[in-house]
Amino acid sequence: MRPEVPMLTQKARQLRRDVFSMIHLCGDGHPGGSLSAADLVAALYFQVLRVDPKNPDWPARDRFILSKGHACPVYYAALARRGFFPPEWLPTLRKLGSPLQGHPVMKKTPGVDMTTGSLGHGIPIGAGMAAAGRLAKLDYFTYVITGDGELNEGIVWEAAQSAAHMKLGRLIVFVDNNGWQSGGYIKDVSGLKNLTAPFAAFGWHTQEIDGHDFDQILGAIEKAQAETERPSVIVAHTIKGKGIPFTENDNSWHKRVPNKDELAAALKHLGGS
Amino acid sequence: MDKITAMDKIASTREAFIAGLMDAAPDDPKLCLVFADSLKAARATPFTDKYPERCFEVGICEQNAVAFSAGLASTGLKPFFNTYAGFITMRACEQVRSFVAYPHLNVKLIGLNGGIYGGEREGVTHMVFEEFGILRSIAGMEIVVPADAGQVRKATRALAQREGPAYMRIGSGREPVIFDDSMPFEFGKARVLCEYGNDAAIFAVGPILKRAIIAVEALAKEGIKTTLVEVHTLKPLDVETIAGVLRKTRAAVTLEDHNINGGLGSAVAEVIAEREPASLIRLGLRDVFAESGDAELLFDHFGMGAPHVCDAVKKLIAGKRK
Repeated sequence: MRPEVPMLTQKARQLRRDVFSMIHLCGDGHPGGSLSAADLVAALYFQVLRVDPKNPDWPARDRFILSKGHACPVYYAALARRGFFPPEWLPTLRKLGSPLQGHPVMKKTPGVDMTTGSLGHGIPIGAGMAAAGRLAKLDYFTYVITGDGELNEGIVWEAAQSAAHMKLGRLIVFVDNNGWQSGGYIKDVSGLKNLTAPFAAFGWHTQEIDGHDFDQILGAIEKAQAETERPSVIVAHTIKGKGIPFTENDNSWHKRVPNKDELAAALKHLGGS
Repeated sequence: MDKITAMDKIASTREAFIAGLMDAAPDDPKLCLVFADSLKAARATPFTDKYPERCFEVGICEQNAVAFSAGLASTGLKPFFNTYAGFITMRACEQVRSFVAYPHLNVKLIGLNGGIYGGEREGVTHMVFEEFGILRSIAGMEIVVPADAGQVRKATRALAQREGPAYMRIGSGREPVIFDDSMPFEFGKARVLCEYGNDAAIFAVGPILKRAIIAVEALAKEGIKTTLVEVHTLKPLDVETIAGVLRKTRAAVTLEDHNINGGLGSAVAEVIAEREPASLIRLGLRDVFAESGDAELLFDHFGMGAPHVCDAVKKLIAGKRK
């Protein structure tokens, strides 16, 4: 086990506590997909990303795009816990006047590199960021977390073609492969099964990992960083609602608000109050 | 009208756009070009030969091209994305709205084959006469429609200096030359081209301005004195100039290579309704689709000829006398 794993495990628990608390307070939001991405987000923000919370627009910073913008509670929690803005902002999620919009907005929230929400846009926009970095001779990486359901969107595959053709080796995409979309299992709703094969066919470097295992997450990122000629996709097998026993693999938590008792039970399980 | 030429010459607005970009590029290393297999249509080889590293070809996928451009712009680059106007503004409409306009990114969208003048023989799929209405309803989007190639070149340089999202319509490459080279282009200003009198105002946008000029002269020969205004910037609209003209004429005809709904006619109607009451006749496609054919013949066929402008003016004047 890598020495940083205990720290990342604690950070991820913190993010999950924040996610459940925020959605409870807001009365609206998507817990399931936020929780499935929590370990990926924790690894990026507390170990991998070269960012400076005091200088969020630093031109040479690594870029991050949350393509599955509806999972923004976990994103906002990470930005707050990393110091981009005070954690006191978190309870304002989705409220009038809040810098924390219902989906991420780049010019309202410090640390958010791109507006997202409408699905499928992380990879094409990330490709633009990666191409711009190459033109500017900056060595930053561009990371994207996309959902698996949103791979239904055609624009994803438009960008898969062109990013490979442009040899954008510093573009690294995680697929948060929790297996669900809004209407049910992806295999039932839209039929998408093998996610790595189409990326491989377009010429991407592909890996598959357990998206809740920090050793595997960090190892996969290192391999992706070492790949210079091809964009990388890391298909991370995850559990929707991961980390809270009664939300795991229950798609009713795709978009659902925990009540007071559910929040208390979740916080107790996650070691908070 | 001293800067208006004989209008029998043709010059390419497509080549003029690239020329304008070439004018601006040496002093601005952030300017770049994005294509959706549109390099040839854009006549862009002067730029791609000189600045190959600043060119990005994504293939035939306009949604991807706009989103990719947003990614470029988020880092401070100034991408110009150039392809068929309808494919930018209709196929990639959501990307324009949510990922360019909403984050107010510095992406310039250059739509070629705009209107009937662009699509001509290609037919309706390759024309667009809805995009003024589409883009006018998107917050923060600037819209420029220069009248000829010389103006396109100057407008391109003007857009390169501006921050934020903008759209410029250009044509097929066979547009009439309307102005001589000394005519400036001032972003955001409606331009009173002639003031024979206040019998009626004629507002026109884009290369079809040529027909409005012919109409104004024909009317003058009959003793009907009009004021001709070119509205090359549809957004932000120069409401003050338009309202000032309406105050004097109280009658207006709009002429545009666009559906009468949503474009210049609608914009002027909004000024009339909110600022200066006037009677109005909108000329353009009367909520129908065009078809393939020679552009000039199509304009005549669909009611956008100089005689149509003259008839509309006479009708307004007759209405005033009642």
